[in-house]
Amino acid sequence: MTKTLTRRSVTRGLALAAGTLALPTIGRAQAKTVKIAMIAPMSGPWARQGQLLKMGADLAIEDINARGGIKSLGGATMEIIYADAGDSTEKAKNAAQRLVSEQPDLVGGTGSWLSSFTLAVTEVTERAQIPWLTLSYSDAITGRGFKFVFQTSPTAPWQAAQTVPTALELAKAATGKTPTTVGLIMDNTAAPVSFAKGLREGGFEKAGLKLVVDQIFTPPLSDATPLIEKVRSAKPGFLLLLTSAMPDCKLVLEKLDEFKMAHGKIPLVGNGAPFGSPELLKTIGPELLEGMLFSVANWPMKGQEEFIERFKKKTGEPFLTQDALCGYGHPAILAEALEAAGAADKIKVAEAIRAMNLTSGPAAQCFPGPIKFDEAGRRMNVPMIFAQWQKGVPVTVFPTDLALAKPFWPSV
Amino acid sequence: MNLAVPVKRQLWAILGFAVAVLVVAALLRSDYFELVLTQVLLWAMLSLAWNILCGYSGYFSFGHAVFWGLGAYTVALGLIHFDLPPWLTIPLGGIIGGLAGALIGFPTFRLRGHYFALAMLAYPLATLYVFQWLGYQEIPLPMKRAAPALYMQFDNPRVYVGLALVLLLATLLISLRIENSRFGMSLFAIKQNEPAAEAAGINTWRWKMLALMLSGTLAAVAGGLYAVVLLVVTPEAVFGMLVSAQALILALFGGVGSLWGPVIGAAVLVPLAEGLNAKLGSVLPGIQGVVYGIAIIAIILCAPEGVYWRLRDRLAKRTPPPAAAPAAVPAAVTPTVREAARPSDRDLLVLRDIGISFGGLRALDGVSLTVSEGGLYGIIGPNGAGKTTLFNVINGFLTPQRGSITFAGDSLLGLRPNQVCRHGIGRTFQVVRAFPRMTVLDNVTVGAFVGAADDTAARRMAAVALDRVGLSARARVLAGGLTNRELRLMELARALAPQPRLILLDETLAGLGHDDLDGILGAIRQVRADGVTVLIIEHTMHAMVQLVDHFDVLDHGRLIASGAPHAVVRDPNVIEAYLGKKWAQQVSEAAK
Repeated sequence: MTKTLTRRSVTRGLALAAGTLALPTIGRAQAKTVKIAMIAPMSGPWARQGQLLKMGADLAIEDINARGGIKSLGGATMEIIYADAGDSTEKAKNAAQRLVSEQPDLVGGTGSWLSSFTLAVTEVTERAQIPWLTLSYSDAITGRGFKFVFQTSPTAPWQAAQTVPTALELAKAATGKTPTTVGLIMDNTAAPVSFAKGLREGGFEKAGLKLVVDQIFTPPLSDATPLIEKVRSAKPGFLLLLTSAMPDCKLVLEKLDEFKMAHGKIPLVGNGAPFGSPELLKTIGPELLEGMLFSVANWPMKGQEEFIERFKKKTGEPFLTQDALCGYGHPAILAEALEAAGAADKIKVAEAIRAMNLTSGPAAQCFPGPIKFDEAGRRMNVPMIFAQWQKGVPVTVFPTDLALAKPFWPSV
Repeated sequence: MNLAVPVKRQLWAILGFAVAVLVVAALLRSDYFELVLTQVLLWAMLSLAWNILCGYSGYFSFGHAVFWGLGAYTVALGLIHFDLPPWLTIPLGGIIGGLAGALIGFPTFRLRGHYFALAMLAYPLATLYVFQWLGYQEIPLPMKRAAPALYMQFDNPRVYVGLALVLLLATLLISLRIENSRFGMSLFAIKQNEPAAEAAGINTWRWKMLALMLSGTLAAVAGGLYAVVLLVVTPEAVFGMLVSAQALILALFGGVGSLWGPVIGAAVLVPLAEGLNAKLGSVLPGIQGVVYGIAIIAIILCAPEGVYWRLRDRLAKRTPPPAAAPAAVPAAVTPTVREAARPSDRDLLVLRDIGISFGGLRALDGVSLTVSEGGLYGIIGPNGAGKTTLFNVINGFLTPQRGSITFAGDSLLGLRPNQVCRHGIGRTFQVVRAFPRMTVLDNVTVGAFVGAADDTAARRMAAVALDRVGLSARARVLAGGLTNRELRLMELARALAPQPRLILLDETLAGLGHDDLDGILGAIRQVRADGVTVLIIEHTMHAMVQLVDHFDVLDHGRLIASGAPHAVVRDPNVIEAYLGKKWAQQVSEAAK
């Protein structure tokens, strides 16, 4: 029972195939789509952060379209185009230039995690007048007089200025006493150095703190003993830990444990999302992390409980972090802007972002404080978030109205 | 030396390349492709700058990012702190790059081979930390809306293609000029045999320093324009390992030591890497690196010396080389005729009480020696007697711990070999030290630079020297293809080319057959007849007895006999130490 292949059957087959191929194209042409972009490091040393951003963005697009797309554009669906920023500023810039050249109808974008990548990418997007959202901390990003860049994280200097007073407030609220001494252990890479600069130049003094341990090391740390011996003899009220590499952080924590100063004997305060990463939990374990506090630009808050569960289920991640949260929040902001602009036009979308003042809705839920940008593209009236490791999960504990758990000052 | 391709043809090739780039730039319809094209040109320039030092002289550098980064930071900081436009700071960065080259070369050229390469690695790494410490982690170049052209901020990306092209063309022309001058030939000689180059009178230190400074200048200029194009400067992006590796990989891929290798490398690998990033980066992140690596491995396996040399060898095979015409020897120049054909009373070289030891071994122990002008002196002695050490002391490879050396009244103590050569002392080596990838004529020309006012004169003197040893017919052949006898003659010609007053011949007759021997002996006699004083180390006693008019015998670093050949060979000390009883019997039989 063999069927011979005739010319007619082939023609018929081809016609059928062409028909099925053409159908969805026609369907898509009727419902409009709007395109946004995400440039994130998806390969190289920061690939993990890029993945988390993408997980968040995928979910956001899914939700936006499930809600019926952009209603003011007749239910236009949102489409996101990903580009890999790789491991260098050159690659990040090339990715931006490529997107701008190949996707002339982009109405907005987000990226690229590392400040220097974001700086390079926004040089391109600014010239192309594409509204661009970023979670990067560097104040240089919005210090260039650009009109199309919007920074959803508070800048690094602001975070540095807020972290210590807020930590003192937390201590006072929990124990009734304010610590008077502080220890500082940090590496000499970019972020910790700029973070500590303001603190050394009067920041500690202003907060009424005496710096009793001041240790800087060049990563990788081979032995934390000399650092921890200093901590043991000085016994600071709390220890500011500014390490950027996981192994160094692990060494310090283990040595603290060995010297019987872990588990809250000396409370620990860090800064930045890496202090709340699942990787840290995996390498260090929940016991040593218990009670550790860190300040961060954005962290899962009250009101996101349903979303946190959905994210965990969908991705298999142990908890939601800053990166995935911003990955979700940025497309949401762009969707709101499109809704307000009523046109798939990048200039109008940028105008809508500038005029934005969101306090509720899916986009506003993703960030602490209202979504309102100043002239420079920085958010206004943003609270400093503090999260704390509690039973193997870093949960937001401050400010109180956004907290998912009550803070405890570990030394009590 | 890439002399197989004439300069004129290379100039046409460069012009063709420039036109091709302009046509491509005009045809590209996307800012993105223009950006990638600009990067191709800039990376090609860095790799070509790297090639000037590393390709020509063979001193590999794993640290060219230091120059690139200095150029980039000069532009960025100049703009931020002093509002200086890149038109000014890019050349300024070049100057800083050149100075950095001098500063780096001074300590680092004490090292050779892998040690040099690894030491170079340290400079960008150290500088990276310095710039981090200075607080220059992320420097965005401010946007100048008022005067974009003054600050090199153009909307049209083709302008950057044009700027990068101009700089690359300049680098190509500089490289071409180097290849065809004393500079390049000296570097090429250094690459193949540095001691031989030094002994042939090349001031190796000076040329290496110049190469590094020029290389640093050009790399810094490229880095400056890179900063303008990228608009953000971070220590990792400009001093990082990736930059140094890029310079190296592009040149290795395209062909080290060639004008076009780095350009080919950049033209293939930069778009390939970028294309892979674009197509695969967001689909299967990380896979682009794997594909890129495999592509490089595959091509290196097919063309181990680089694409350029592979292609050239292919083409050379297809078109047979033109029948080797005998080199035209300019007849206009005749060697300076010196009348003295036999030892005169004038002492040319005087050694007094020379002593040198290596650890516990006394290689030379109180050797005193006088060489009269016009003489033909033989140095004999058993293995390890200190003969070659004596030559090394005379020509400056070794500095004696005691004693004095004067040549025509001037002290030679503490002079470097190239300076000794300048005084008029040439030498050959026990194991021939040729420059195998240069032609015979070029090999000898390298030796002639010392005594020549310009490159043309050097070429003429080389041709004369080749004629003197009877090797003119082989002038255009690569030295790697010569027989042992021809190599010896070529080395002799190289020593003779600058018209020295004294030449040191180290076992020139070693390993030669009977027929070959006669040819060389004739050449040596001719040299002596032309008035050049000859000092020769040799084992072949029969030949030596016929050749020389004076013997000095060394044993265990001491001079045990000296005098006319026939007297010396009968000296019982000499017979015991060196010649052996068999020789004594022969001598006594001959006497009967």
